[in-house]
Amino acid sequence: MPGADDWGVVLLTLRVAAVATCVVVPPGIAAALLLARWRGPGKGLVETALALPLVLPPTAIGLLLLEALGRRSAVGAWLAARGIELLFTWRAAVLATAVMAFPLFVRAARTAFEEVDPRLVRLARTLGCGRVAAFRRVVLPLAWRGLLAGTVLAFSRALGEFGATIMAAGNIPGRTQTLALAIFHAHQLGDDRRALRLVALTVGLAFAALWTAEWVVRRRSRREAAG
Amino acid sequence: MIELAVRLPLARFTLALDATLAAGVTAVLGPSGAGKTSLLETIAGLRPAARGRIAVDGETLQDDAAGRRLPPERRRVGYVPQDAGLFPHLRVGENVRFGPAAAKAAADAAVEILELGPLLRRWPATLSGGERQRVALARAVATRPRVLLLDEPLAALDPGLRGRILPWLARVREAWAVPTLYVTHNVGEALALAGEALVLRDGRVSARGEPLALLAAPGLTDAATPGIENLLGGRVVAHEPDGGVTRVALDGGPALAVPLAAASPPGARVTVAVRAEDVLVLDQPIRGLSARNLFRVRITAVRRTGADALLHCTPAGGARPWVVRLTPAAVATMGLAAGRDAWLAVKSHSVRLL
Repeated sequence: MPGADDWGVVLLTLRVAAVATCVVVPPGIAAALLLARWRGPGKGLVETALALPLVLPPTAIGLLLLEALGRRSAVGAWLAARGIELLFTWRAAVLATAVMAFPLFVRAARTAFEEVDPRLVRLARTLGCGRVAAFRRVVLPLAWRGLLAGTVLAFSRALGEFGATIMAAGNIPGRTQTLALAIFHAHQLGDDRRALRLVALTVGLAFAALWTAEWVVRRRSRREAAG
Repeated sequence: MIELAVRLPLARFTLALDATLAAGVTAVLGPSGAGKTSLLETIAGLRPAARGRIAVDGETLQDDAAGRRLPPERRRVGYVPQDAGLFPHLRVGENVRFGPAAAKAAADAAVEILELGPLLRRWPATLSGGERQRVALARAVATRPRVLLLDEPLAALDPGLRGRILPWLARVREAWAVPTLYVTHNVGEALALAGEALVLRDGRVSARGEPLALLAAPGLTDAATPGIENLLGGRVVAHEPDGGVTRVALDGGPALAVPLAAASPPGARVTVAVRAEDVLVLDQPIRGLSARNLFRVRITAVRRTGADALLHCTPAGGARPWVVRLTPAAVATMGLAAGRDAWLAVKSHSVRLL
């Protein structure tokens, strides 16, 4: 049976993943909208840069974060001067998983926005909606399924993130040790029973997240299909 | 009144239109790709590249020379695109009341006049093409627009359904009396609804006038003749159950006998439809004809359109003119010409009460 230690790991992981998802969604929506609607020059460059974390090894991202936020860097020095400690705290785990999850969310959200017929948005304008109202009343409700899928994807990615987290946040039990790290750690120590217990918990979490999302989508579709 | 002086660069040509359109329905005719939809979108404020001046009933929607340009949401145009463009995530009722400017009274009136009551809780995906168009019309008029822009509202429907939607458009015309631009490439619709028509060709007005006079305009004749309907407003006078007829007095005359329609009480406003080919032309009022409706008219125009001839006839008393479709042979044999008097005969069963 999972012990208090194991539940502690689960809670920390959930907290990191949930906060990281919240951090990812607002700028992710903005970036996805930009990519879906903007036809300006340099779009390809921005697109590629945003997709980089998908293809780079997570450890590389982690190392870059470490360098960017270390005391020797400008940002790190600025943060340190204000007494903000990021590296090797749970906030660093949030940041690392957020960076890894961001492109996944943007991909899903962008597809969702591109599937909204722009003529419906223009119609909403002629009916008296400003840009913001048209976005809120037409684009969001029509794209919500894709946005939800992207959110679940980002959350799942955050649940399982390993490489970037271990580089930027370390592997400190009780502070930055999320499920993925704890499994690795237990296995390294030869405690395979604990590793397997944690794997079982991870499977449960992932299943619950995916199933909930499925269920919400299906419930809404049934309502909309009903005549 | 709609004042237009607009320029909009398009792929093949520049839309260039200077016109002042009277109140009522103006048909915009023309082949595909002539710039008809672009014109409507320009008026609606959906074309950022459009320049010029647009005013409706004295209210300036756009005047680039004066640096004035209302965004689409403040122009108060009722735009109905070809495919209706209903919001798929909202029920019919929510679609009708979508516009922030939609007034409850106007929305209720739209629902009543377009008979949407039974559909209010349905999702757009479950509606037929004709029902969708009615919902889109209601949604547009519910915002009490200054101008209605209808983009081929019947084009996506099969011919049978068109005949059923046309009367709804006539109702909108009667009930709201909003200046309307009606894009179509079917002259029959233009004849039924519009007092005036523009023919657009490569972004320019190539002809302008009464719809009937434009039948001879090049490029239109082929699409012109099928489906021309006489749509006339009137009031129920009385029912004669024994004779199986209802008497309807058309606005400005004459009175018609139509198949018994007891559901409309005497005094009720109705629209009747008579197909142009269902009207007989006589050069004198013969007795012993089974047709219940016989009235005198003056022929005001005769047009040859493709294989057919169309007569433009005005009943005594100056009511709305009738359009009659004949073969050119009949026209020649009877010597029908503008300025002559004639009698029109219509069987009761050729008159549909809408």
